[in-house]
Amino acid sequence: MHSILQRGNAILAYTLSVLACLTFVCFASTVLLNYRTHADLNTVKVVVYVVLWDKIILRGENAVLDFKNMNTKYYFWDDGNGLKGNNNITLTLSWNIIPNAGLLPNIFAHGSHSFQFPVDYTTSRM
Amino acid sequence: MDFIYKIPTHMDFEGQARAEKLSRVIITLFGFVGLVWGYIIQQFSQTVYILGAGFVLAALLTIPPWPLYRKKPLNWQKAKGETETVSSGDSAKKTKKKN
Repeated sequence: MHSILQRGNAILAYTLSVLACLTFVCFASTVLLNYRTHADLNTVKVVVYVVLWDKIILRGENAVLDFKNMNTKYYFWDDGNGLKGNNNITLTLSWNIIPNAGLLPNIFAHGSHSFQFPVDYTTSRM
Repeated sequence: MDFIYKIPTHMDFEGQARAEKLSRVIITLFGFVGLVWGYIIQQFSQTVYILGAGFVLAALLTIPPWPLYRKKPLNWQKAKGETETVSSGDSAKKTKKKN
């Protein structure tokens, strides 16, 4: 600790140690948060999740979303089977909160909308 | 340019201990306060900034060898070195010549 460089090194190393400790506390605080989670598990049927639309909201941006007559951002691609004639298509809204350090919670909103896909393909837009 | 070399740049033994202790207290304190504040407003970046401010403050206070850290200098013994023996030898020679 006699020279300037030694003292600078010691301070920097100690600061980084403290930063690591604080990051861990930040992580731990997100683990302790109790988000309302909703497990949508079905042990009989296979449930496939497909993302149709998404939006990134940064901190401070308007989080009140009011959309009408929107198209889906990502389409229902029929990769062979599963969509045509499916009688239980359920639309739900869920979101993630991305912390600087910590878990990534997946939170489901209340409510959903279910409908059926027709058995045949349509040739014109409905 | 000689005055540059006369600027004292050292810390004494006790001063080094004080500097290290002070830097740790400052950084820990800023880190803790930053954590509390960052938790209150839920922004970890603020915690990191406050810790960075603590680092800068600690660096300013404890890295330069301020006179504060030079209050208890170690008193070294005077060097016994060669100068004494050489001078005694010279005096012996001189006495011989005188005789």
